[in-house]
Amino acid sequence: MSTPVALPDLDETLDLQAVPLEPWQVVVWNDPVNLMSYVVRVFRTYFGYTAEHATTLMLAVHHDGHAIVATGPRETMEVHAQAMHDYGLWATVRKAPQ
Amino acid sequence: MTARTISFRLAPIEIQHLAALIDQLTVVIAAADEHPDPAVDRLVPAPYPDDPDAAEEFTAATRDDLLDRRTADAATVRGALSPFIDSDDAGDGENIDVTIRVVDIDPWLRTITALRLVIAGRLGITTDDEHDLDDPRFGVYDWLAYRLDGLIAIADGLDDARDLD
Repeated sequence: MSTPVALPDLDETLDLQAVPLEPWQVVVWNDPVNLMSYVVRVFRTYFGYTAEHATTLMLAVHHDGHAIVATGPRETMEVHAQAMHDYGLWATVRKAPQ
Repeated sequence: MTARTISFRLAPIEIQHLAALIDQLTVVIAAADEHPDPAVDRLVPAPYPDDPDAAEEFTAATRDDLLDRRTADAATVRGALSPFIDSDDAGDGENIDVTIRVVDIDPWLRTITALRLVIAGRLGITTDDEHDLDDPRFGVYDWLAYRLDGLIAIADGLDDARDLD
């Protein structure tokens, strides 16, 4: 890597407050088809969650009907939702409730 | 270096049935291009249930790719079964160890899951307890669950062994 001879003199201010980053969520919903062992495996291998956390999320899906499996920028959540769809899970994306 | 593999033991008759089901799945997915099919729609869930515009945009951008990947996964599984199809052994021989490359485990899991989702759609399964024991199609659905669970156990065991390395 080369070092620039002179740094451009930029008068730049970043106002992070101007664009608040609104968190979005990926929600996985209960369905009568997918096996518990399968749902745990998908959460574990795709998101890299521990077996315990993946199991907790799976049980929440099973008993509560749904679980929030990821939170973050909308584009990223859409990628995750599509990955869940790849695995046959019923996933939706929503803005995190304020 | 040889690719890492696992063995998945199936009866010859199971291999014949699984291959036939996968061939049907491929046909059903292809047909959904022209004719709407609720069972195939389940493979492409709407991500924005409360926002039809956003849902339509997302679906337009992802549906074809998603279904193409299901077809590609199905072809991977079908390819692994092919050596055992069309043999003289029509189904009552010894069990067969089907070799699955470790990188193909996920395509196998996704394919059997997709089969079950489409069959559930055809059978109208909407709750956990909906089962008609007199309908042999439920037997196929349950058999696939049994085999899927077994394959998951093999795959999970592989991950556990890797963690110990």
